[in-house]
Amino acid sequence: MTHSELEFTGNRPLSNAKLGVLILLGAETMLFAGLIGTFLVFRMGSDLWPPLSHANIQLPRLVTGINTALLIISGYTMYLSLRAIQNDKVKQLRHYLIFTGTLGLLFLIIQGSEWIQLIGKGLTLQSGIYGGIFYVLIGCHAVHVLGAVIWLIIVIGKAIAGRFSVDRYIGVETCTIYWIYVVALWPVLYFLVYFA
Amino acid sequence: MFRQIVLWVLVIGFVGLLFPLIVDACPNCKNLDEPIARGFNWSILFMMAMPFTVVGVIGGSIFYQFQRANRNLKV
Repeated sequence: MTHSELEFTGNRPLSNAKLGVLILLGAETMLFAGLIGTFLVFRMGSDLWPPLSHANIQLPRLVTGINTALLIISGYTMYLSLRAIQNDKVKQLRHYLIFTGTLGLLFLIIQGSEWIQLIGKGLTLQSGIYGGIFYVLIGCHAVHVLGAVIWLIIVIGKAIAGRFSVDRYIGVETCTIYWIYVVALWPVLYFLVYFA
Repeated sequence: MFRQIVLWVLVIGFVGLLFPLIVDACPNCKNLDEPIARGFNWSILFMMAMPFTVVGVIGGSIFYQFQRANRNLKV
C-alpha cells in the first residue's frame, strides 16, 4: 500500500481530530505563555514577593504539592486507559477513565478549598497585583482542568455505552492528549507561582 | 512616484539607524538594571521563544506520526 493509498482509505497517520487538538494546544500554549510572561514582569519587577501588602499570606505549598502529585498520577492513569483500549481491554479502559476523572475532580475540590482559605485571609482578585496574577494564572489552569474533566465524563459515558474498540478509539486518544497537556502544564505553574 | 517614496523611506530609515538614540522609544528598555525592565526583558524573551516552540513541537509531532506510519508500511 502506497502512502497516497493509505490516506485514501481513511487510515491516515494523523487524523483530523488529532490535528485539531494539536492546534488547539498550540493556541492554549500561547495563552499561557502570555499569562506567564505577565507573571514574570510582575515577579521580576518587584524586589519583595509577595508585596508588603500581602506579606502575611503564605501560599499552601505542601497541600498543593500533594495535589500536584494527584494530578500527575491522573496523567499516568489516563495514559494507561489509552494503552488499555489499544490492547482491546475495554473493561480496564472504563476503570482507568473513572479513576482519572475522580483524581481530576479531587484536584479541583482541593484547589477550591485552598482558594476559600486564601480569600478568607484577604487574598482576592481585587487585592492587588499579587492576588490578581495568582487567581488569573491558577484560575485559568483550573478552568482547563474543569474542561478536561467534562470532556472525560463524556468519554466515560461513551466507554460505558461501548462506543470504543481497538479499531475505534480516537475519542480516548484526543482526550488523553488534552489531559496530559493540562497535567504537564501544572507543575510549571506550581513551581513558578508557589516558589518563585 | 512610487519608487521615489520607497527611496525616501529607505534614506530616512538609514539615517535613523545612524542615530540610535532617536529610535530608543521604549522607556522600559533604557535602564536594564531596574527590576521592572529586567522583568520585561525576560518576559519578552520567553514569549518570543513560544511560537517557535509551538510550531516545532506540532511540526515534530506530525513528522513523527508520518515517519512511524511509513515505517509500519515497510514492515
